[in-house]
Amino acid sequence: MDFTFTKDQQLYHDSVKRFLTAKVTTEYIRQSWASHTGSSAKLWQGLVELGLTAMLVPKAYQGLGMKLLDFILLAQECGRVALPEPLLETTMVATPILGTLAEKDPRCRSLLHKIAAGEARIAVLHTVNNLISDAHNADWLLLPKSDQLHLLARDQVRLTAQASIDPSRRLFTVEWQGSSETCLTSGTEGVALLAFILNCGALATAAQLLGLAEAMLAMTVQYTIDRQQFGRPIGANQALKHHLANCAVATEFAKAPLYRAAYTVSQRPSQADLAISHAKVAAGEAAVLTAKHCIQAHGAMGYTWECDLHIFMKRAWTLDKFWGPAGFHKNRLRLWLMDTKAKIGADQTFSTQS
Amino acid sequence: MKLDFSTEEQAFRSEIATWLKQNLTGEFAQLKFCGGPGNEHRSPQQRKRWEQKLAEGGWSCIGWPQQYGGRSCSIEQQVIFHEEYHRAGAPGRLSLLGEGLAGPTIIAFGNEAQKQKYLPGIVAGTELWCQGYSEPGAGSDLASVKTKACFNETQGKWLINGQKVWTSLAHQADYCFVIARTNPASTAHKGLGFFLVKMDQPGIEVRGIKQITGTSEFNEVFFNNAECDAEGIIGAPGDGWKIAMGLLGFERGVSTLGLQMQFRNELNEIIRIAKQNNAYRDPAIRQRIAQSHAELKIMRYNALRMLSAQAENGTLQKEALIYKVFWASWHQNLGELAIDVMGPEGQILDKSNSGSEYTLNHLQAMYLFARADTIYGGTNEIQRNIIAERGLGMPKEPRA
Ligand SMILES: Cc1cc2nc3c(=O)[nH]c(=O)nc-3n(C[C@H](O)[C@H](O)[C@H](O)COP(=O)(O)OP(=O)(O)OC[C@H]3O[C@@H](n4cnc5c(N)ncnc54)[C@H](O)[C@@H]3O)c2cc1C
Repeated sequence: MDFTFTKDQQLYHDSVKRFLTAKVTTEYIRQSWASHTGSSAKLWQGLVELGLTAMLVPKAYQGLGMKLLDFILLAQECGRVALPEPLLETTMVATPILGTLAEKDPRCRSLLHKIAAGEARIAVLHTVNNLISDAHNADWLLLPKSDQLHLLARDQVRLTAQASIDPSRRLFTVEWQGSSETCLTSGTEGVALLAFILNCGALATAAQLLGLAEAMLAMTVQYTIDRQQFGRPIGANQALKHHLANCAVATEFAKAPLYRAAYTVSQRPSQADLAISHAKVAAGEAAVLTAKHCIQAHGAMGYTWECDLHIFMKRAWTLDKFWGPAGFHKNRLRLWLMDTKAKIGADQTFSTQS
Repeated sequence: MKLDFSTEEQAFRSEIATWLKQNLTGEFAQLKFCGGPGNEHRSPQQRKRWEQKLAEGGWSCIGWPQQYGGRSCSIEQQVIFHEEYHRAGAPGRLSLLGEGLAGPTIIAFGNEAQKQKYLPGIVAGTELWCQGYSEPGAGSDLASVKTKACFNETQGKWLINGQKVWTSLAHQADYCFVIARTNPASTAHKGLGFFLVKMDQPGIEVRGIKQITGTSEFNEVFFNNAECDAEGIIGAPGDGWKIAMGLLGFERGVSTLGLQMQFRNELNEIIRIAKQNNAYRDPAIRQRIAQSHAELKIMRYNALRMLSAQAENGTLQKEALIYKVFWASWHQNLGELAIDVMGPEGQILDKSNSGSEYTLNHLQAMYLFARADTIYGGTNEIQRNIIAERGLGMPKEPRA
């Protein structure tokens, strides 16, 4: 067993982190709120040049052929800067799905080529969400209907913008008519792929939530060092230390389930539901707790629009509800635990099956 | 102990209920459930007229002594008033700071001339007030205010210089009560004065601060040789801290009863939505709703218990210290419950009001505003320090 990432994974992680920190500043995000699309072609091009869109595309289609596990640290970085681009829907959700269907479906093959080259963005709908994010910037949409999965071009659907409580997010409801032409798969395979979509979406979201939590915590620690009351930094007060220490515990400990979940999707798909629900619950709890204590530690300042904290808090609050809120994922955990065949008991505490 | 309302009190209840029913009509009908924390930006002009309407009906400042324009209502009657007021969905009170804080302070610490000058405008609902305590460097550590007040002999006025911040409703207020340093050499609690300052003057500039709600309810207030009449100081120079603390006692007093009724309305709204969108089927949601209800009742019973003790011996007891941290944390949890019950809809901004780009619905605004409940009026951490040190007698934190 080895929970560490490889040297290559870490090096790549560092360069992506440097790029995102330099480009996706909070000033950039505030500008994006005012822009029509909320998106920047130049930034997207930068992400493409870093190889991010090609990473998970199989080598056969000009991709780098890597696994979700290789992407998980990068997804966390997207959260850390509150990236307002639809990168993860395209890379962590649509790409693996299209990869599964590529061999038998030429549409998926050609789309994968385009994704790798940075020429196609995909938005993905799932019934747990009702809303689809960044569909206005997408070239194609993956849309579920009962046991079917459809692929439609953006001009084949009708989008209605739904303003989000997080001004960085562009959400839509979508009206569409599928046909046998647009249907990629159905039946048992369709059902399995829809479940896979949910897992990929929840995994990507869990990773972002942890990145967000770390970003909020870092800026708040700095604030408690800088802000003085009663002739000393407010961070000198135990009450605040304990709040922020609790956030650190929750966030740090949520990483292991997240990394395990990423590993599981690639290596043990049969246990993915359980591992991913676990990761999403832990990451959501860490991010929501961190948002709560960070605004508290900022005092009235944290309640202002001008203070950058709300950029991250609002993203955390909304992502916590996306791709299945805590209740949904806890229910999946419960269903597994209550199953008569569940492997629980003293000898199973550290079972590889759970 | 007497936990039921008397026949006279029931009659009082139907009097106010009838009045509200008859008067929350016409131009005021649209003010139902309008305003209040998180929604103060809505219809301020009409809500000011509503204050005057209340006054005409004799329903402003009902807890104040008759001689100052009130009705000398008992605690029970005030409870009834608040219950019926919120049951009817009457709008958030713009004159809260005048009626609940400035007025009682002037009554308790002011001289007769000051009472004659400032109280009638509050009673009539024509003069609104704001609270100028916090400064950029003085939040939790309120005693470190730097704003200065200096008496100018030639003008015969106080001149005030400095800056306040987070001043709620300063943009609508006619007066501000300000704590400022009368002795420039003093530090901490000593050498402060308590001033009643007219807002409409060249020496005062108000700049709105945008909140995470996208609206602006609080402000920066800059004082640049702002003038205050010689008679505008309550008590003597140096008494400011004592008076400011006395006022915080009122903050924890009767005015919070009205708040509970607003909480009740919010909880009812959450229950309605949970039934409508089936969120109540989630056992975790059901438990949280039940928990919220139980704790709201705890607050209510304790507020009444606290207030009856106050009526009896004129002082607030230990319970009063506990109250702020309890209701603030409760309300913050209620915000989280609301957002969870609303489900995906809870993420989407209000469509009915597409005029401004960031328009929250009532419960979303409540959710975000409740983040601030544990901050203003003394943060939770400060309240807990007070409970531990003053309530429980635990050793004091080291002071720098
Ligand atoms: C919505 C809103 C409306 C307001 N309206 C008004 C108004 O009308 N008039 C007015 O004068 N003010 C108003 N305020 C200001 C309010 O009173 C202050 O925000 C509050 O006193 C806290 O001060 P601060 O924001 O400077 O936070 P700080 O004092 O900087 O505190 C930051 C953090 O440090 C913690 N902390 C500080 N000292 C200690 C300690 N000794 N021990 C443990 N923890 C500590 C705090 O609990 C908090 O978590 C308002 C604030 C808000 C949010």
